[in-house]
Amino acid sequence: MSRSEAVTRILFEAFPAAEVRLFYVLGLAACAAFAYGVYVQVRKYRRGAPAALAGGMWPRLGWMIARVLDHRTVERRDPAAGGAHRLIFYGFTLLFIGTATITLQYDILEPLFGVRFWYGRFYLVFSLVLDLAGVALIAGLLYMMVRRGWLKPPKLDYARPDRSPGDPDFDRPQYRREDWAFLWLLLIIGATGYVLEAARLVWLQGRADVWDTRWWSPVGALLAAALRGVGLGPAGGGALRHGLWWFHGLIALGFIALIPYTKVKHVFTAMGSLMVRDPLAAQRLAPIPESQAAPGVAAITDFTWKQLLNLDACTRCGRCHEACPARAVGAPLSPRDVILSLREFAHATLESGTLPAAAELNVHGKSPGQVAQETLWSCRTCMACVEICPVAVEHVPIIVQLRRKLVEDGAMDPLLAKTLATIHKTGNSFGESRRRRGAWTKALPFPVKDARREPVDVLWFVGDYASFDPRNQKVTQTFAALLAEAGVDFGILYDGESNAGNDVRRVGEEGLYEVLADANVAALGSATFNRVVTTDPHSYNTIRNEYPDFGGRYPIEHYTTLLERLFAAGRLKVTQPLRYRVTFHDPCHLGRFNQGYEAPRQLLALLGCELVEMGRCRSNSFCCGAGGGRIWIPDPAGGEKPAQNRIKEAAAIPGLQVYAVSCPKDLTMFEDALKTTGNEGKFVVREIIELVREALPLAAPAGAHA
Amino acid sequence: MKILVAVKQVAALEEDFEFRADGRDVDGDFLVMDLNEWDDYSLEEAVKIKEACGGAVEIVAVSVGPPTVDEALRKCLAKGADRAVRIWDEAMRGSDSIAVARILAAAARAEAPDLLFAGVQSSDQAVAATGIATAGFLGWPHAAVVSQFTYTPGAATAVLRRELEGGLLHELEIRTPAVLTIQLGINTPRYASLRSIKQAAAKPIELRTLADLSLNAAEVGEAGSSARVRRMYVPDKGRAELIEGSAAEQAKRLAAIIRESTGAA
Repeated sequence: MSRSEAVTRILFEAFPAAEVRLFYVLGLAACAAFAYGVYVQVRKYRRGAPAALAGGMWPRLGWMIARVLDHRTVERRDPAAGGAHRLIFYGFTLLFIGTATITLQYDILEPLFGVRFWYGRFYLVFSLVLDLAGVALIAGLLYMMVRRGWLKPPKLDYARPDRSPGDPDFDRPQYRREDWAFLWLLLIIGATGYVLEAARLVWLQGRADVWDTRWWSPVGALLAAALRGVGLGPAGGGALRHGLWWFHGLIALGFIALIPYTKVKHVFTAMGSLMVRDPLAAQRLAPIPESQAAPGVAAITDFTWKQLLNLDACTRCGRCHEACPARAVGAPLSPRDVILSLREFAHATLESGTLPAAAELNVHGKSPGQVAQETLWSCRTCMACVEICPVAVEHVPIIVQLRRKLVEDGAMDPLLAKTLATIHKTGNSFGESRRRRGAWTKALPFPVKDARREPVDVLWFVGDYASFDPRNQKVTQTFAALLAEAGVDFGILYDGESNAGNDVRRVGEEGLYEVLADANVAALGSATFNRVVTTDPHSYNTIRNEYPDFGGRYPIEHYTTLLERLFAAGRLKVTQPLRYRVTFHDPCHLGRFNQGYEAPRQLLALLGCELVEMGRCRSNSFCCGAGGGRIWIPDPAGGEKPAQNRIKEAAAIPGLQVYAVSCPKDLTMFEDALKTTGNEGKFVVREIIELVREALPLAAPAGAHA
Repeated sequence: MKILVAVKQVAALEEDFEFRADGRDVDGDFLVMDLNEWDDYSLEEAVKIKEACGGAVEIVAVSVGPPTVDEALRKCLAKGADRAVRIWDEAMRGSDSIAVARILAAAARAEAPDLLFAGVQSSDQAVAATGIATAGFLGWPHAAVVSQFTYTPGAATAVLRRELEGGLLHELEIRTPAVLTIQLGINTPRYASLRSIKQAAAKPIELRTLADLSLNAAEVGEAGSSARVRRMYVPDKGRAELIEGSAAEQAKRLAAIIRESTGAA
């Protein structure tokens, strides 16, 4: 027993009492600095507006802990960095727990209750685990240094697309310095820990309970052998241990003190952000609270505390920067930089004891920390940023909140303003008369039921583009013919239908969205049906996720799942397999927003097509550029458009015949991009509906397809 | 400082429409009503003057018409008008531009503004007389088709530019109070968010009658108008045909058309 109790961690041995006292004073000072920093941060968040959190606290806590432990969000699309981070995380966490349990025994349990557990086999096993944890930590850190120093992935370049070289906040070298300081600090803490361990072994080599168990700390033991090899004796080892002990201890305490003031705080803010994550952040935007006098965000304090926490969670990993379609085509927007700008703004304004004057809280503009109009209007609300963020930063709701303020001020492209006024006046973005919404049915050889007059099984919400755009009308007529062929009892709302409002809401025109949603919920309420189907992923998203807030709850599906079922039930049969080499573009609102990844692919397989995926597919699908109201805003002349960028990606597939889409706006955007990129004639853009039609020539050909 | 902005609610045709039983106008069921496009610009010009001087300017939107016109006036309130005045009396029905000008002049005397803005014309009737006729009744200086305007509230004169034919510009200095008809493109009218329109719905719209403006029934409506619509109709359409096919086929078809139209067939 006594032998076992002697096998333990050497702490303050041979320290004069004054030095031990000094260490405690410094330790408490570091904790005080940490606590004050935390207080300042919490005070900053509390200066934000109230936030409503989605879901219960325990499931959110469970989800957060699971993500922190499995690192699933950190390793997506960058497994090497994710793996290295996992090594650092587990290494650091184990070492921290190790140190914390020593404190627990030495300063709390033993003095108060006489409980000791840090000895014998427990100590030895722990010692081995911590030694290996240190290896993991250092290996992870070294990879991160190689990555920053040599691999240099473009997403880690802090140059901003919304600033010019020479601007004070263009490429922010202070970020690079902080990144390197963080890596070096951790590396030095880890490395000196090992040398300290080795020095202690050399110093106490004469003590059997220390020396004979040294291989339980293999790295320390190896280093000790090396130190002895270069001639270090017990006395030298003791001196080295004394010096290094202080060095290691002081930087470790410094590290703790610095956590709330540096990027190190992400260890807490990221966990907080993950815990308050809203799984439908971009799919279901928040209404403007009745109590709020002015819509949207004008001042930094108009953000909710949750959004302010989001800002601090950002680790500058650059995944959103990499995924953003606006950034990819050179638009002045990087979701990363919106977040970092606002974070700097919050840091400058909300961390002082007294809140600055209201005029200094305005986040709109071009000064450092502010967000420019052009940046906000570049966003397609495609959700690529929200989807990939490893720490659950919700960029899209933040951008839409900022846009709401711009809309209120009328600060937008004149064409967008005109379109919004048109939608208000006519209920559609084409400026067509309401009565003409169902005009496409006239070309069909059969009548389409008015669901307001007679009950139907399936209510088809057609949407603006499918109703009015001449090219899409042909697809719409084809879908009607397919439904008729399959014997589906369906109807539409005719002039009772209005623009679904999905994109109006994402523009930030919440008042108009409310008018549209109320009108559609009322129209749907006047009809009798079992379920809703739509060919438009934008309408699908808002009806599915947002209409429930307006009292409209309906089972709704995208046409791809309905067609898939009709095939499965034998109500539609492929008679002429297509044998095309196709690629498929996941629409943002079907794929990323609503996980409708499988049905379109299964339809293509059913039709006999060979599907070749593009590099950016499924959750990483690349937006066509039409979302968030951008379809109503002209793209700047000369530059590349997202749809062109995407078509070029498809054009690299050898022997591609068909670029398949399942969204009316995609059809419009990509047929245009096919022409403007000079790929016309090489392959074609087709709606899956058109491919289905081609694979099963209808018994009674519909007049519209001649 | 006060600016009176005279606005009109104009009608746009639906795709298919029918005429009224008396044949003098389109049946109201087939009309989509909205604020006249030119008035968007004249209101914006007034709001810009107000914003530039920090707000010591009162903008009053005024319109002649039945209660349905309130919608257009609300839009003006949403876009920055401080007050809205609707002038109506059943006797005013059928007023032509000159009669409307007489009514507006009476309203201007009551309001005593420093400036009166009107659109160059209305998009539905396109008479382009109301604004200048109002200046005539008031005996105020006036300028038509203004494409640039500079005025500091309180100043005795304003400087403006008008576009003339042949790319010429006319720069004028004008004494106030004055009447100006504003051209499209002088500014970029702001967007009135639905939220601001809803909030404007809570603001009152002041009603003025014949008696309020000391007018009598004979001065307004058809009685006070010097022109009367006889009928409104769709002219017979001319014919057009796109000739397709090879050169020989096109020539053959062309020859047939010529023979047909000269009666030689």
